[in-house]
Amino acid sequence: MTSLPILSVRDLTVRLRTEEGGRNIVSDVSFDLAPREIVGIIGASGSGKSVLSRALVNWIDPPLEIASGSVTYKNENIFTIPPRRMRALRKEIAYVGANPQGALDPTLPVGRQIVEKIQALVPELSRAEAERRVIELLAAVRIPSPASRFHEYPSQFSGGMMQRALIVDALATNPAFLVADNVTQPLDVTIAAQVMRLMRELTERFDTAVVFVSSSLPILNDSADQILVLADGRIVERQVPERLLHSPQHPYTTQLISEIPQIWTDTAPVVPKIPRQGTPLISIKNASRSYHVRKRGTFASYSEVRAVRDVSFDVFPGENFGIVGESGCGKSTLMRLLSRLEMPDSGSVICGGQDISRLWRADLLKFRKDFQLVLQDPFNSLPPRTPIGEIIGGPLRVHGIRSADQRRKQVLAVMEEVGLASSLFDELPLGLSAGQRQRVNVARALVLDPKVLIMDETLSALDQTEQFKLLKLFSDLQAKHGLTYIFISHDMAMVRRVCNRIAVMYLGEVVEIADNTKLFFEPGHPYTKALLSAIPTLETRRYDPEECLLDGEPPSPIDLPPGCGFASRCPKAFGRCRVETPVLMPDGPDGEAACFLVPSYPPQPVTAAAA
Amino acid sequence: MALLSFLARRISQGVVIIFLVTLLIFTLLRVVPGDPVRLMAGGMAPEALIEEIAKEMGLRDPILVQFGRYMTGVVQGDFGQSFTRPASGASTGGTGFGDSSRGDRADVLTLIGDTLPMTLQLAALAVVFALIITFLIGTPAGLAPNRWPDRLAFYVSSIFVSLPNFWLGIVLALLFSVKLGWLPAIGYKGFAYTILPAIVLAIELSPVLIRNLSGSLSAVMQSPFISFGRVRGLGRRRIVYGHALRNASVPLLNLLGIQISGLLGGVLVVEFIFDYPGLGLLTINAVLQRDFPLIQGIAIITSAIFVLINIVVDLIASTIDPRLEY
Repeated sequence: MTSLPILSVRDLTVRLRTEEGGRNIVSDVSFDLAPREIVGIIGASGSGKSVLSRALVNWIDPPLEIASGSVTYKNENIFTIPPRRMRALRKEIAYVGANPQGALDPTLPVGRQIVEKIQALVPELSRAEAERRVIELLAAVRIPSPASRFHEYPSQFSGGMMQRALIVDALATNPAFLVADNVTQPLDVTIAAQVMRLMRELTERFDTAVVFVSSSLPILNDSADQILVLADGRIVERQVPERLLHSPQHPYTTQLISEIPQIWTDTAPVVPKIPRQGTPLISIKNASRSYHVRKRGTFASYSEVRAVRDVSFDVFPGENFGIVGESGCGKSTLMRLLSRLEMPDSGSVICGGQDISRLWRADLLKFRKDFQLVLQDPFNSLPPRTPIGEIIGGPLRVHGIRSADQRRKQVLAVMEEVGLASSLFDELPLGLSAGQRQRVNVARALVLDPKVLIMDETLSALDQTEQFKLLKLFSDLQAKHGLTYIFISHDMAMVRRVCNRIAVMYLGEVVEIADNTKLFFEPGHPYTKALLSAIPTLETRRYDPEECLLDGEPPSPIDLPPGCGFASRCPKAFGRCRVETPVLMPDGPDGEAACFLVPSYPPQPVTAAAA
Repeated sequence: MALLSFLARRISQGVVIIFLVTLLIFTLLRVVPGDPVRLMAGGMAPEALIEEIAKEMGLRDPILVQFGRYMTGVVQGDFGQSFTRPASGASTGGTGFGDSSRGDRADVLTLIGDTLPMTLQLAALAVVFALIITFLIGTPAGLAPNRWPDRLAFYVSSIFVSLPNFWLGIVLALLFSVKLGWLPAIGYKGFAYTILPAIVLAIELSPVLIRNLSGSLSAVMQSPFISFGRVRGLGRRRIVYGHALRNASVPLLNLLGIQISGLLGGVLVVEFIFDYPGLGLLTINAVLQRDFPLIQGIAIITSAIFVLINIVVDLIASTIDPRLEY
């Protein structure tokens, strides 16, 4: 680069001060950011990338401290600038973080807060001008009806919209550079892809240089001019993206690359078709579930949130069944129906020949023994003040094993199976990592020797390395105990790796069920294609995001439009989609899809609609 | 529209609450010992006369019948007349009953109408004082948890909470009225007479408010939007006054709603000590004289005030924080 760098970082070390002295979170980091350049920083969780990105905007609070080094902006080290001048500089230094929902005051309208920021930093701009500018930018990030959204509160924005509003907030003062810390991490894949596309456009339009921090190499690969690999707080490699992928120098980079999920390549995992014979283990028939919420500002009228609509499928013994979809699609409600935490309003869930909504007391307990649940959040799902052995042994006590010796024996056996040291038996779960905590969760479910494990986003909180290990564990356990798994997830790559058959949900409905290979190579539903086009991957995509990925977000499950739920976002929607609701139809031998474009779909309405 | 339906819902709930409170007070008054007729007619009145008066006043009917009769009046705006107070002036106590006809006795509504504004004035001033104390002490404490302003707030509120209001009332009256002569204390001849009792009430109110404000403020200061506000370039003052205090004031407001209702208890003692002619003093005398209609009237009015205050608090809270549904 010939031009002078905007930002230069030299030997930056950030220390975490603890009672025992302290340790370095970021060590000796040096790099330059040229004008208009996009520098990508990749690192796994715990590599210090968030601390580094905060240090770049001088946002280091105790117990963290800058131990040495400098971040130079306009010939000045930002760590030594007095607070008053630093505050003025915020106009030119912008930051977008990974937690869009917490970033603004929940009690004030979003637009007003962005105007507040503009006025604090650019006092010469009048209020009216600032407002106009914000509305213009809200339109530029494709927030629908920006003038009325301006007056809405953070809680009325979805995660993706809020992230876009924060991009507006960051760019509103025309900053010289922007630090984006894992901005896509909390978002659904299709929304994350939209946000990424937008950031690239805007930074070009505003001539902003960007430091892009992420844990996903595919995302950085698409946008960065240069990638720095961060491991344990140190930069272990720096390369332009193509060279980084083809000739990684450092073993850590090699490992990162090897962990990128393979979807369509020859080396991608092949999950065999499981012969589906005999009676299904779980059979869910036309199940629907709605919730009633009081309408805001009315006396006694309720709106109906239709969380699960007319869902039917069978799960056979030994299968790995996946349920995928984005947030709000009804996955979790379906999980609650399957595990009988709730009962369907209509339809039934039949397990082992019995309708589980009819089970009570002893029968219900017996059902629970066979169908166990493993939850998403490794931190809140374990009681913090109960020893691990007692947590895992709890279900045994519930299911009537009185003898403490017997319980201890069984717990130790299952702990060994999931790879927990027996010395942890009397420990509290406080010091455990997320991965170990999920092992405790799995052990707690497994100790009853169940037939089915329902995994509700069990792996979502873990990084790739840990995910690999647990998936390996799951398949070992399956081979040994003949388990059937139901994976509920939003992570297509994970599902690709383990599930035999996958159901795709959208707005409470199953829009497609197909075998793994069929779903990933010849999906029948346009929504599945959109999901596939948005998977972060380095492969040549089978489905072009430009074609499949549309703007906009799912409609609210309260005011469902008539016709197909996906019609409002579907690139292929035509007249029939807006009047008639498609149902699942066979799409080849290996799948079913609810789309009028499926070849086997009859041209006339299947049911005599309201005749 | 949303506002109207909110008000309709809350007021109808409030009416139920007031009705239940009235029923409870009405029943309890008639169940506990103490015959109002005996107090009215005087200790020396013959038993037969007392029975006759009681019958004439309907006090020997079944309680539900009496209650029905009373409520019929109340919905028409007639809260009855005091048993013991003549329309002309002071309480008659036990002796004057015999001759005075019933029409000469004071309307309950008039009695309450004369004293309630005095008490509202006292309560409002007390709340203003309490909020001033709370924000002066609680804000720095919330901004500096575990440092000296926080400890100061802890000591101050500990001292405040341990001062009995009757003692404090007497001490303040001795100090400011008798020794220094700065403020009047006994009776009421102008606004200055409200200040001392209001200070006593404010000191009683403020400890809980201080703890609440400093606690919620320090919690709000931990939220991501506060530290992110600094990175966005907002000034410290703007963050604290524009955002942190705004968020911290919602729990404070809810607490205040409950505390104001509790204030009515404090008013009893304080008005008695300062001989302040408010609702509290009226209540004490009414209870001592077994003045059933007056006690009932006060109960209805105070529970109505309680309901109203809580509606207002919820309204204000939901304008501050739109996530709260009303």
